[in-house]
Amino acid sequence: MALKRRNLIISVFALAATAALLLWRPTVLIYGLQAAGLYAAIAIPMGLVLGIVHIVNLAHGEFMMLASYATYFTCKALGMDPLIAIVPTAIVTAIFGWIIFQLTIRRALKAPELNQLILTFGIAIVFSQAINLVFTSQTYKMPLDYVSASMDIGELTFGIWSFVFVAAAILFAGGLNFFLKRTTTGKAALAVGQNPKGAAIVGIDVYRTYGLVFALAIALVGAMGALFLTKSAIFPTVGSPFTMKSFCLVAMAGVGNIPGILSASVLLGLTENFLRAFRGSREWADIVFFVLIIVVIMSRSLKGRKS
Amino acid sequence: MKRFVLAIAAIALVVSGVAAQGTIKIGGIWTLADITGKQGSAAAQLAVDEINAAGGISGKTLQLIVVDDEGKADKAAAAVEKLATVDKVDVFVGGMASGAELGKIPSFKKYNKVVMSTGAAGSATVEKALGPSPESDFYFHLHPWDYNQGASYAEGWDAIQKKYPNVQIKKIFLAYEEGAFGKSSWDSTKILFGADKRYTIDGAPFKSALLGGGDYTAVLEAAKAFKPDLFLWAGYDADALPLLEQSKAMKFSPGIYLGAPPGWPIGFGSSRLANNVMLYGMWSTAMNDTNAQSKKFYDAYVKRYREEPATYFALLAYDAVKILANGIKAAGTTETAALVKALEATSYASALGETITFKPSNVIKHQGITRQKILQWQGGLQEVIWPFEAATAAPVYPFPAWK
Amino acid sequence: MNRTLARSLPVAAIGVAILLPMFMGDYPLQVARNIMLYMALAVTWDMLLRSGQISFGIAGLFGLGSYASILAVVRGGMPGWLSIPFAGLFAGLAAFLIGFLILRLRHTYFSIVTLALGEIFRIIIHNMHDFSGGPEGIVVQQGIIFGGASRNLYWLTLAGLAVALLASYWFEKSKVRFALTAIRNNEISAKSSGVNIFRWLLLAFVVTSAIQGMMGGIFVMSYGFASPETVFSADFTLLPLAMALLGGIHSTVGPILGGLLLGLVSEWLKLQIPYGHLVVYGVMIVVVILFMPQGLLGLARKTMRAAGRNRK
Repeated sequence: MALKRRNLIISVFALAATAALLLWRPTVLIYGLQAAGLYAAIAIPMGLVLGIVHIVNLAHGEFMMLASYATYFTCKALGMDPLIAIVPTAIVTAIFGWIIFQLTIRRALKAPELNQLILTFGIAIVFSQAINLVFTSQTYKMPLDYVSASMDIGELTFGIWSFVFVAAAILFAGGLNFFLKRTTTGKAALAVGQNPKGAAIVGIDVYRTYGLVFALAIALVGAMGALFLTKSAIFPTVGSPFTMKSFCLVAMAGVGNIPGILSASVLLGLTENFLRAFRGSREWADIVFFVLIIVVIMSRSLKGRKS
Repeated sequence: MKRFVLAIAAIALVVSGVAAQGTIKIGGIWTLADITGKQGSAAAQLAVDEINAAGGISGKTLQLIVVDDEGKADKAAAAVEKLATVDKVDVFVGGMASGAELGKIPSFKKYNKVVMSTGAAGSATVEKALGPSPESDFYFHLHPWDYNQGASYAEGWDAIQKKYPNVQIKKIFLAYEEGAFGKSSWDSTKILFGADKRYTIDGAPFKSALLGGGDYTAVLEAAKAFKPDLFLWAGYDADALPLLEQSKAMKFSPGIYLGAPPGWPIGFGSSRLANNVMLYGMWSTAMNDTNAQSKKFYDAYVKRYREEPATYFALLAYDAVKILANGIKAAGTTETAALVKALEATSYASALGETITFKPSNVIKHQGITRQKILQWQGGLQEVIWPFEAATAAPVYPFPAWK
Repeated sequence: MNRTLARSLPVAAIGVAILLPMFMGDYPLQVARNIMLYMALAVTWDMLLRSGQISFGIAGLFGLGSYASILAVVRGGMPGWLSIPFAGLFAGLAAFLIGFLILRLRHTYFSIVTLALGEIFRIIIHNMHDFSGGPEGIVVQQGIIFGGASRNLYWLTLAGLAVALLASYWFEKSKVRFALTAIRNNEISAKSSGVNIFRWLLLAFVVTSAIQGMMGGIFVMSYGFASPETVFSADFTLLPLAMALLGGIHSTVGPILGGLLLGLVSEWLKLQIPYGHLVVYGVMIVVVILFMPQGLLGLARKTMRAAGRNRK
């Protein structure tokens, strides 16, 4: 009961703060949400892998980078829009992800978690350096008219295309929630994530489930690769910063808590953009990310000890 | 440890080869995974082959030995040591990122061989680490320092406003990437444009997409609120189109939209937004029509490597080898004191559209190029606007408002 | 026979390491310096790992030490050689204070917080323009330590590595080993058998951080500059991890072997394949992890065991 009341107070407070922000600095809210959408949409697949397969995939961003390059050159050759390529890219990268899983990660699953970490670090180097070798470090960007779509409300003019990332994030989180809670395969995956030995005893093929979940996560990353291409230029190291960001967001939400990634991203996006809006605090926007992570993790660990 | 010793010995054996008589060795150090280093080393090899095909230097052939610095200080230092002690090169060429260059400087100083440097614009660190003459006399810095660039832009915009009275600049906004490159641009812009209060300057940092950023909304909000006549961004090629697209989404259209990245993304010119964007640079393919040197280099490079030189760093590396070769020919030796003296008399008509000579800069004695150019994207090509003697087109002003 | 060999091998290795400058040129010495720096980081990272705590904060502490050293010299007028132990002291003190906050965290949460702290150090240095030199970095104007003499710089880095190895040896041979292993294997039973977990963790964290900071001091004094992107580079976290793992964790020898392997191979590949050597480097890391999950040390143990069985 007390918990419910506290949650209510927190949500009322958050709503009031949002309303105040909307009136005072509407752009902070708009751009903060857009940034949050991008963060969350990329972090959610990593949360899925960490929550069920229990590996930190340091090649996470590199998978997205590969998907972006594949989309770019396919679209260029066929004169296609990257938006049309989202689903095909997701399918192709899922297969690719599954192959990589079977060839490498699967073989290291019994080893200590550090082995998996360095293994994916090695994979990340191979991916980004191979792309560098073939396509050089030069950047590629698709010129697309619709990414400059804008909206006027009174004095305010802002870009609206990036809201597509918010939609993607909500879709990913909702879809995964449905998958894990309502489908047989999803329920099995969740069971494997919580207790692999127990799941094996009741007859679930643990390794097959791991492979499937990994492929699903890479499919989402692949879809993001195509979507990301609309907005951003691509180059060999474009993915790697997102690996660290995603990892931090997943940790902030708590391993296994996919909806939590959404709220962590919103908190982060809004705070960053709030600080960027003022001359005195602009340069410190980056630090917020890390301070928030520490605060959230520390307070959770304190709470955990009390209960 | 024994295995270590053996392995080192093996490395030394494999790479050293036999020092041929009558060979002048040039040690080249670039970051080869980067397009500037990849093409810089290729262009330097082109220059070496051209010189050898024309009979070498007084009967001696040139040999270029390239080692990767991986953009890291420790690897860069190892590269200098390897070239100096194992290959026993006579002179050095190369360089791009200041961080790697700083790793090389202690070793460069130790060997005191002539260095023809093609990059490293950070005066606050690289020039300071080199120190004043005479200790740094071996170091010939081709690329302009950050303050040289700032000064040349101030000069350029004065000249453009004088020649084209419809161009009016009062307020300048600089969006600079938060790293070393952007920060030094901001420092020199503030000093050189803000000096006599003719201009009002403001600026804000952003995180370049190259370094994991790519969100330009906040910096563009700040720029829009300032209402600048000239909007300048100092970032990387990855920022070019996304920044422009975001500007359009926010209906931010200053009279001059100017970018200063070291290179541009592939296909930038084909974007509809790109037309009439201005840029800072040293060279463009448009100069092939007005400059015979430029055309000669361009044709030779494309013929050999089947790709376009993406940035001016390829030309700098090419010129660096040519200048070194001329100096060695004049001095008749690669011995440092004599070669420095010969190089001081350099007057080299560069493919970059200017004659390169060496003059003292703020700290060191041998600074090559001091001017950059002001260019404009017109119909998918980078046309030179200033300096007027190298101009290939007249400026289009103002930057078209977004339709 | 085997035992004498096992005992004389380290002595021989130390002798060779000290005397190396007598019969090696400047290039091998430079490569050795680069490798030894990473080795020291790998060994110290492993020392903390023996308690089960995975730190991602090596680059953060290395960078902190680097700036402590160079700022003490440039802003405080401290002699270069003194700034190196000062860097260690500074990083150790920082770790002591931070330790109270974070050493109660476990697993991924500890890793992520150490990573975040490293990034916070970097951003603070990056933003303190006037004092730290900001993003462009800072230069020691009077030149580098020992006038840049290769041998002295080599011995300096070797001394840094020696400190790391001695500390690691002490961890292995004293009751620190018992405490850390107990914490790693079963924290609850360690607690119930009277091990003061926090105190031992703090000791390990402070000692390893101090050495990492000191190596930062050695790095900046040997090159005469520091910049945020150089000294806080993720390389200083990931490469030592990879080295320790490829060599074999929970030992002193493992990280040394791994450092030798990765360091020599990366330098050799760079010369053999100027364009694209990093692809091969990545493939090698993947292959070694897959086929030698226990690292070189594990492989050596396995072969020795097999050889022993054959003899019987």
